[in-house]
Amino acid sequence: MIENLDTIEKKDLFASGHRACGGCGQALAARMVADASGENTIACVATGCLEVFSSPYPDPSWRIPFLHSLFENAAAVAAGVEVAYKALNKGPVNIIAQGGDGSTSDIGFQCLSGMFERGHNVLYVCYDNEAYMNTGVQRSGSTPLGTRTTTTPGGKKRLKKNIPLLAADHGIPYVATATVDDYRDLQRKVKTALSIEGPKYLHILAPCPLGWGHAGDLTVQICRLAKQTCIFPVFEIREGKIISVQKVPVKKPVEEYLKLQGRFRNLFKKGTPTTDVAAIQKIADGNIERFNL
Amino acid sequence: MSEKLPLGLALDLRNVTPYKTGSWRTQKPLNIMQTPPCTHGCPARNDIRGFLRTLAVSKDYEEAWHILTRTNPFPATCGRVCPHPCEEGCNRRDFDTPLDINSAERSIGDFGIENRLEHKKLITSERKEKVAIVGSGPAGLSCAFHLAKKGYKVKIFEAEGTPGGMMRWGIPAYRLPKDVLGREIESILKLGIELECNVKVGINIPMDQLIREYNAVFLGLGAQKGSSLSIPGDDARNVFTGVEFLKAVHSGDKIDIGREVVVVGGGNTAMDCARVAKRLGGNVSIVYRRTRVEMPAITAEIDEALEERIMFRYNTNPVKIVTDENRVIGILCVQMVLKEADASGRGRPVPIPGSESVIPADTVIIAAGQSVDYEGIDIHKRDNKWIEVNSQRMTSMDRVFAGGDAVLGLETVSAAIGQGMHAAYAIEDSIKKQTQNHLASPPVVYSKDLNTYYYQAANRFNKESVPVHIRLKSFEEIYPPFDRKDIITEAGRCLSCGLCFQCNNCLMYCPDNAVKISPSTGMYEFDYDFCKGCGLCARECPCHYIKMTLER
Amino acid sequence: MLKQIEGSQAVADVVALCRPNVIAAYPITPQTHIVEDLAEIVSEGRLKAEFVNVESEFAAASVVLGASAAGARTYTATTSQGMLLMNEVIYCIAGMRLPIVLTCANRAIAAPLNIWNDHQDSMSVRDAGWIQLHAEDNQEAADLHIQAYKIAEQLSLPVMVCMDGFILTHAYEPVDIPDQKQVDDFLPPFKPTHIVDPRWPRGLGLYADPRFYMEAKYIQHRALEKSEETIKQVSADFRRAFNRDSGGLFKTYKLKDADVVVVSMGSIVGSIKDLIDRFEAEGKKVGLLQICSFRPFPREQIYETLKDKTNIVVLEKSISLGRGGILASDIRWTFPKGEKIKRRISSFIAGLGGRNISLDDLRYMVEKVEREPVELEFLGLRQEIIQEKDL
Repeated sequence: MIENLDTIEKKDLFASGHRACGGCGQALAARMVADASGENTIACVATGCLEVFSSPYPDPSWRIPFLHSLFENAAAVAAGVEVAYKALNKGPVNIIAQGGDGSTSDIGFQCLSGMFERGHNVLYVCYDNEAYMNTGVQRSGSTPLGTRTTTTPGGKKRLKKNIPLLAADHGIPYVATATVDDYRDLQRKVKTALSIEGPKYLHILAPCPLGWGHAGDLTVQICRLAKQTCIFPVFEIREGKIISVQKVPVKKPVEEYLKLQGRFRNLFKKGTPTTDVAAIQKIADGNIERFNL
Repeated sequence: MSEKLPLGLALDLRNVTPYKTGSWRTQKPLNIMQTPPCTHGCPARNDIRGFLRTLAVSKDYEEAWHILTRTNPFPATCGRVCPHPCEEGCNRRDFDTPLDINSAERSIGDFGIENRLEHKKLITSERKEKVAIVGSGPAGLSCAFHLAKKGYKVKIFEAEGTPGGMMRWGIPAYRLPKDVLGREIESILKLGIELECNVKVGINIPMDQLIREYNAVFLGLGAQKGSSLSIPGDDARNVFTGVEFLKAVHSGDKIDIGREVVVVGGGNTAMDCARVAKRLGGNVSIVYRRTRVEMPAITAEIDEALEERIMFRYNTNPVKIVTDENRVIGILCVQMVLKEADASGRGRPVPIPGSESVIPADTVIIAAGQSVDYEGIDIHKRDNKWIEVNSQRMTSMDRVFAGGDAVLGLETVSAAIGQGMHAAYAIEDSIKKQTQNHLASPPVVYSKDLNTYYYQAANRFNKESVPVHIRLKSFEEIYPPFDRKDIITEAGRCLSCGLCFQCNNCLMYCPDNAVKISPSTGMYEFDYDFCKGCGLCARECPCHYIKMTLER
Repeated sequence: MLKQIEGSQAVADVVALCRPNVIAAYPITPQTHIVEDLAEIVSEGRLKAEFVNVESEFAAASVVLGASAAGARTYTATTSQGMLLMNEVIYCIAGMRLPIVLTCANRAIAAPLNIWNDHQDSMSVRDAGWIQLHAEDNQEAADLHIQAYKIAEQLSLPVMVCMDGFILTHAYEPVDIPDQKQVDDFLPPFKPTHIVDPRWPRGLGLYADPRFYMEAKYIQHRALEKSEETIKQVSADFRRAFNRDSGGLFKTYKLKDADVVVVSMGSIVGSIKDLIDRFEAEGKKVGLLQICSFRPFPREQIYETLKDKTNIVVLEKSISLGRGGILASDIRWTFPKGEKIKRRISSFIAGLGGRNISLDDLRYMVEKVEREPVELEFLGLRQEIIQEKDL
């Protein structure tokens, strides 16, 4: 049922004119997702950077129908759209709920979990920029250890919530992670997800130049480093089993990823890594073992 | 569907006028084609990226030939004899291995010969101006080629009986088969160039006559006079200068070289003499007063000579030829030691007293320098050796231009070809009374500017040479013809430095969809209405075709 | 057909007749029976609808928001804590002009926790932009749902039908449940005006900056003001089709010659009417203004009705803590300041947290206001359990 799984799609269904910062990873991801899904899509968008920069009246940048309600209910609203289409015998249509990491892992987790449990035919895409970026870089449950945010100026002391695995444990048929530097992989995963009935979850690492403290042109490179240092494992889970993992043949030390970002500068005292870096390396090593990277 | 939509909350997405975010930027991306280091280092300025990419993408040998012969009419020749400075600069050198551009050039040249491809003129009309070319070596033929393409009437005056200059008389057949050379010269002449052989300008025709009858004259005299070392006995039988020896062999003369052959010198001519002598059955050694490092010969030549088991006697300088009944039987040499650097930048060789010895020799070839044969031509020289030219390549004689070995000193075929090309432009400028900057070229892109993540490592084309013992049995080429598919694969390794090769990165990585494919050219262009100047395109462009510049 | 059924069942039956496409259900006392009954109706195949068992009231409202935005006729019900939890979405639905119908089974709000009836919950969202209709009895509760869909879909405004928790929801009364054809004739299929559909790509719920937000709210306000017309019209149409009075902006009872007018909403009006009849027998002239449409508040029409009345007492099951009676405030505002007529408007708060309001309490209230105006009094307050130190 999936056509053109490996074709790169560029239709600009998420068009120019949005107010994202230059080099925004989320804007990039949103376009890749919208293009991969095609015109027969309804986007249910949560409040956040994406919604705020993409849907101002009178010139939103969506070219597919979108529905924005509140910060924490993208999953529930998408569920509503899905049941309406079923009840009215309309469709088939791709329903994609989209939210940031705050909306997904914190305030919207209830709606996400409920949508998964009820088995709605909805793809939920989380754009993970690892903090509440729209309100000015505050920590979320998805912020990794050691990150400096305005509400954790000394670095976050707690670990990053693992939403993809939590999603998988709901028993949904498809869970995947992706990054914006590998658009072929990302779009393939969107298409794969949309070909499966039931709730799907796609977790995309979307760097935020402003919030992460790097230049706008490094977005793609940072994604690559996140993968190469094994901090962000890229995998697919089907029916609870890991079916694919992007292996990392040459593993880089986490410093290479951390050093490029202002949000981690607390971790380096005059250029030398502190013990927190070792803790982060341990997390990366854990990923290597768990996912066999 | 009712169009009654509540204000501010529901909007028809088909009628949206997007907000022009281009007003935000402080820097903007520009597509700037840059010169790759291969072209930058090529004396003829060949569009190497052009022909390699053509081979890689459309696999079109004919198109590649036309691209290459736009600047260089001798691809098959250069593909055999050029020391390929392009490869020294190839940016891929810093990624894995440099491209084997030389082999690609040869393959393209051979294709041109096999398929009898014809050069295209640049203009259809004929110009009335006439240009005389003196010498049909690479400089002269190149100059003639470029002028003929522009529609000028060209006549070449060649002193010998057949054209080619040092390419014919100097370079041995195992490096450059004479039929290959002949066919390339034929192709050039087919542009309507007149050739008169056995005419030595200065002797058979005075220079004044040429200057009178032609709008311009180009001197491609070469440096075909072998210099002597002025050592006692150098007038004995079987003592040759390098040029003399090679010319004799290549004219078909039979020379009895005996068994022991000593070649004096460290340049390409010396190497050629040694390897020719080896093929004629001699036991050859080369005598050079410094070491390998200081030898001016092309590295490949020295390596191949070593492979062919020619002995190299370094730090050895001839003192006198030992003769018997005026025929050489040996050469007395003294050992040298290198002291502080002299004018050439190399250590000054100083003889070690008491280290003289005689090397037995049936033939001595002295290839220790060449000079220009100025007979009948009175012209200003620099260092009293080479023709002096100004920045417009004009000599001390008005409307007389020069290039090649006669101007540069001993250089390569490619250098001469480049000189001929630039002289042709200078001649055109002089005729048209204009000044154009032909040398203007975009900045060079180096490997530090590239983003090599997107390139895949691949092995270099491996050219296999004929085994040494078979080589020495004849004057056949030591590299057999290359498989065109292998060359195409090798061309595929070209990184396309400084020119877009449609990798789609900029298109896909722009968060603002500000990169569009032009419907007319098919190339990428920027939509400055929306570009925010984030720079992702420039950073992720593998070949540095995009440069961020400050917005005014 | 007349049936002796529980109020919740009546509502469920009538809602099913309105043919909603999507129902979102989350249980909370005293609304639970409504969603349970609907679940059974759907599972027995008497209604073809998508029945979504959500994980919270917030999700319930979100699901119906999404479904309505996709063009479905939707329904959900809640009360008290649930209403507060879905507060964000209530405002969002109103702002997005989605014609959703919701039953509020009025119940008191924690803290302290209390499951019995008062009007604090629906009052807490009175400013959100929903039409709020209060039912007097189970028949009206049922009928109002049919009218609600018609009003909502005509105006693109959401409608909340308020019925007193337990008092109405759990009471067994004879209720006439219309048949499907009657309802189909009265309520045509839903023709949405703005939906998300790839065939007509639209954005819903955009972000409006200061240049546009105020106008959007102005338009909403005007729409609510104008909806009074429609509410009246639909009630009149209902009367013609179903042959009974139901809904509308407000009703009066023996108001014409009344010396004292009681203004109230909800099930308590039944008791008030009883009392009025008794007073009539005693020779006292008391009247009732029974408000059905609390929002929009039909100020002009109430003024017209009450302009000659000089002794008005407002009895309500709600209070704006720190200020006073909410309905009383609205009534007092109905009459312009500096009028020539000397008018007395008294405010009584009663029945909070399900406290019983007896006929004696009501008699006390009327007799008190006959003597003097009452600024604010809590009817039936048990002074004996309040200690000095609590005040």
